[in-house]
Amino acid sequence: MFSSSRKKIISTSLKGFRCNSQTAEALQVTNRLASNKTKPSQLKFSRIYPEFLPDPKIEFRNPLREIIERMDMLNRRRNVHIPEFYVGSILSVTYSDKHNPEKLNCFVGICIKREGCGLRANFILRNIIDSQGIEILFDIYDPTIQRIDVLKLEKRLDDELLYLRDALPEYSTFDINMEAEVLPEGSEIPINPIKVKLKPRPWLERWERKNLKGVQDLELPEKFYKRAAELADTTSQYDLMKQYMKTIPVEEQYQIFSEIESELNQLEIAQKKQKRKKSFVKPVKLA
Amino acid sequence: MAFIISNVFNKSSNKSIVTSFQIYNITQIREKRVVPKPKLRHPTWFTHKNRVIHDDFVTADNVGFLKEVVEDQRNSLIPKKAPTNIIDWHPGLRRTGVIARKIGNIPLWLKDGTKIFTTMLEVLDNHVIRCYSPEEYNSPRVKPTLVKNKKGCLLLGAIETDPILLTKEYCGLFKDSGVLPKKVLGRFFVSPEALLQPGTPITIDHYRVGNYVDVRGKTIDRGFQGVMKRHGFSGMPASHGVTKTHRRGGNIGGGGEKGRVWPGTKMPGHMGNRYRVAKGLKILRINRKYNVMWVMGMGIPGETNSIVYIYDTVLPLRKPSAALPFPTYFHKDEDVLPEEFYDENLHNFSDPSIVYK
Repeated sequence: MFSSSRKKIISTSLKGFRCNSQTAEALQVTNRLASNKTKPSQLKFSRIYPEFLPDPKIEFRNPLREIIERMDMLNRRRNVHIPEFYVGSILSVTYSDKHNPEKLNCFVGICIKREGCGLRANFILRNIIDSQGIEILFDIYDPTIQRIDVLKLEKRLDDELLYLRDALPEYSTFDINMEAEVLPEGSEIPINPIKVKLKPRPWLERWERKNLKGVQDLELPEKFYKRAAELADTTSQYDLMKQYMKTIPVEEQYQIFSEIESELNQLEIAQKKQKRKKSFVKPVKLA
Repeated sequence: MAFIISNVFNKSSNKSIVTSFQIYNITQIREKRVVPKPKLRHPTWFTHKNRVIHDDFVTADNVGFLKEVVEDQRNSLIPKKAPTNIIDWHPGLRRTGVIARKIGNIPLWLKDGTKIFTTMLEVLDNHVIRCYSPEEYNSPRVKPTLVKNKKGCLLLGAIETDPILLTKEYCGLFKDSGVLPKKVLGRFFVSPEALLQPGTPITIDHYRVGNYVDVRGKTIDRGFQGVMKRHGFSGMPASHGVTKTHRRGGNIGGGGEKGRVWPGTKMPGHMGNRYRVAKGLKILRINRKYNVMWVMGMGIPGETNSIVYIYDTVLPLRKPSAALPFPTYFHKDEDVLPEEFYDENLHNFSDPSIVYK
């Protein structure tokens, strides 16, 4: 029942015994980590599939719920290919629409936001159609989605592009019949260094206070920048506890992705096979 | 106090006064409550639960021995057989409920593409701990009036725990049931026909997809709150000369005859931390492997990971049409149940994408 090292303890209190068992568990964790460190491939999963990581808010978490949720997500991914994409990528989403006479609709746009975890995960696409800004929020695991295509896989300088709502329209206008650009396999995701020009105030938000990297000079009077500097949060980047509570620890990420790694890899392989099938066009017999 | 009504009409005749006095002698008792309010007594199973853990320098060998004793007890439990006198369910009967844990709110989709929000409830390892027939059960709050169709009572326990952490008194509650002590207890009133023997397990198969349930839980404790948060008052303007009354309730009554605070006036006070029941929630999906059910709606009282009690609904229009497992589900070897049950309108994530025609 007990290991030999534990039998050596001659007399210990109940509390002490519990402490010992905890340290043994901690040892197990570190051992597992050491073995997992040989697999850096798992780190890429948290980048590609961020919604598989649970909500960092501790009061919303439940391990059993998360397991079942992941099971459902994988089941959905077996039926529709959900590709790798980031904020700033240009996507085309084909979805069932009962109000459309053809019962099918397609929307092309730039992903300006991606958030949520588990089945709640969603993203916002933005485009300007007939000089009218259109945004659609899609749930990633919505079963009415038929197809998601990445037309241009790239990142931008910011984590959220909500400022495109206040930018000049050419920055969020994309051709509906855009051709997909395919990146060579194994290449890094390019970062688009484009700097957006915003319209003059009034804005939806006070963008000068958001510390944005992807915008041109805002052309505001000096007092706006002064106030922004006053309110700037300079300390929270050094707050280790805050960072820890905001994110899922790496060891937990390893554990989550080691459970579903094989299935995710299988899905990727199946998708690649299907892609090859699609790209092969049977030659037509001529006369 | 007595008073005479008829003497106004019969002043002339002494005789008639006497007779009318006999007829109209009405006694009025002007008191707030005729029958004294029943005294609240604790139920019999209300004992101290957690033992104070002292440093009793127990050797590691002895700790191991204690664990072995508990393990032996767990292994020596004999599974209860189904009772022989089972009757078929009919709408008048009331079954037992179960103790569950609220594990989160997640979206699901219907087959027509509508997104709905559901709450996941994990049914815990429920066992019947005690069984009281209607005659035996002595309510902690005895009603002065005669109760018709008195119900029996089942005491259920959930979440098996280490008996070393509990008091001797509390562990004694589980003595006759043949199960190890449980962390959580719950009382369920049932029809006398639905009484179960102590030690009977109650699983998630007690419920069927498509049935409606009531879920009782303790609401989130929000502490002492003002009227804006507690009762949804709109407060007062932030500016335009308003001072010191931005989030206050304002006037609480008039003067004159009504010059007092009326009972039930909405005022600041403690909010939450009370038991509330969310009624008539439909079961949309059941996973038998993980003992989880998905019920419609997000408004189930309590935080995630809090304990809730599930009952068959009391709403008359949502009573089940088909027969329910009565008094509970007893597994038979010939029964082969799938791992998951889905409502007929619910989209299964293993199915292909929804296409409209």
